[in-house]
Amino acid sequence: MLLEVENLTVSYGDILAVRNLSFVLDQGELVSIVGANGAGKTSILNAVMGIEPSKSGKILFNGEDITRLPVHERARRGIRVVPERSRVFPRLSVYENIITGVYRLGKKVAVQTRLEWLYGIFPRLEERSGQLASTLSGGEQQQLAIARALISDPRLLLVDEVSMGLMPKLVDQVFALLRQLNKEFGLTILLVEQNAMASLKISDRGYVMEVGTCAFEGAAADLIEHPKVKEAYLG
Amino acid sequence: MQLLIEQILNGLAMGSIYAIITLGLALVYGVMRILHVAHASVYTFGAYAGVFIFQATGSLALAFLGSMLLCAILGVLIERLVYFPLLKFPPYVPLIASIAVMLTIEELCRLIAGPQILTFSAKLPFPDLDVAGVHLSSTLIAIYVITAAILLLLWYLINRTELGLAMRATSQDMAIAGAQGINSHYIVSLTFVIGSAIAAIGGILVGIYYNQVYPTMGAVPAYKTLALIVVGGMGSVAGAVIAALMLGLAETLLIGYLNVPFPRDALAFVAMIGVLVWRSEGLLGSR
Repeated sequence: MLLEVENLTVSYGDILAVRNLSFVLDQGELVSIVGANGAGKTSILNAVMGIEPSKSGKILFNGEDITRLPVHERARRGIRVVPERSRVFPRLSVYENIITGVYRLGKKVAVQTRLEWLYGIFPRLEERSGQLASTLSGGEQQQLAIARALISDPRLLLVDEVSMGLMPKLVDQVFALLRQLNKEFGLTILLVEQNAMASLKISDRGYVMEVGTCAFEGAAADLIEHPKVKEAYLG
Repeated sequence: MQLLIEQILNGLAMGSIYAIITLGLALVYGVMRILHVAHASVYTFGAYAGVFIFQATGSLALAFLGSMLLCAILGVLIERLVYFPLLKFPPYVPLIASIAVMLTIEELCRLIAGPQILTFSAKLPFPDLDVAGVHLSSTLIAIYVITAAILLLLWYLINRTELGLAMRATSQDMAIAGAQGINSHYIVSLTFVIGSAIAAIGGILVGIYYNQVYPTMGAVPAYKTLALIVVGGMGSVAGAVIAALMLGLAETLLIGYLNVPFPRDALAFVAMIGVLVWRSEGLLGSR
């Protein structure tokens, strides 16, 4: 297993965001965690990435216990995140935003080759490489956040609410891209989404969250057909 | 005419010194969003360290290097022991802690070195110049050259190196910088190292310029540099430098040359109030 999360609990003060959650991710899988707003989805990703401390539980990455590792150490081991609302560095140029991902990795990663590959996927970013990130449109900022997470050739990509605030047409493009990254390049992806239908459609497996805990899990195709899932999340 | 030129030169020197002291404050505010009032006491400490090392060794180079090293250590200690544990609290908590640290360091200087004014009679290794009847003392030239060198080096570091990119990313979004593999706590500590070492240079230059080192020499700079980072735009290093140079010139010209009947040390605060009323983002600030 690439990622194993056991009995994870995350809290903000007295409020429990995630309760005793366990899930796994195999190398090469695309897995979705879906659920309504406030179900604790973002907290799961932040705990895996190390942006927020977990209260209890264990996180194993590639067999190594990373529960107490600081965020940058996890990033250097190959976990990267596309955060909610993209959170690009507004006063860095597009190019600078991307290469923050290879800080002190310049010798380990073929930066130029990766960069050309990313510019091939996102030609808009190449056109705007010298512009400040704050001048990009919402869709372009989302592309930049993805490129920034991919430059280091990560082993696990965490994607947080990528559809939020994007036009439906762009949402389709982004999901198609994630699917392509998974299928063609074997990138392992953990997707956290409110847009359950769109994300389950491209996923191998899914976990359905209800206020801080997992209500169902299963193959994505089965979840889409599950009557309770349909009723509760898909409308 | 000659007096005016001399006053402009003095004003630029004054502004350069303000800029050197303000740099650390602007850098720290940029990465940590903390008003590091105690920075001015690091500057005082730097002046004392400089004068003692100079008296003990007779070497100005050693005085600069030793004082920069000691101030860097002091800066990191303040960051690790005081600010970092307080980051989760509202901003006024580290601010109050910072004032406490400032008073503590000031009193420690007084306890160890005594309340009297020490003289710092050293000659900086720069020539005196006479250009078209205008005299430029070696101290003035040293202040210009050293300030310019610091600004150039810092500009290069921040804008042209990988480390500088990490510093800028950290100051814009610390959590995401971490998620990109940047050890942001290390970057924050390094910012204190750089800012505090520069403050040491400022302390020594001022000590030599006025031939005075005393425990409360940081008091007025503490308030003025706060006003300067507001005027420059919170967290904007370039804005703080421009504001510092303008203040140095304005103080010297309005009050020293035109004899405007106005308390010199209040000018920075009038500028700050003006900025807060008419342009709250400051000269070069964003948002």
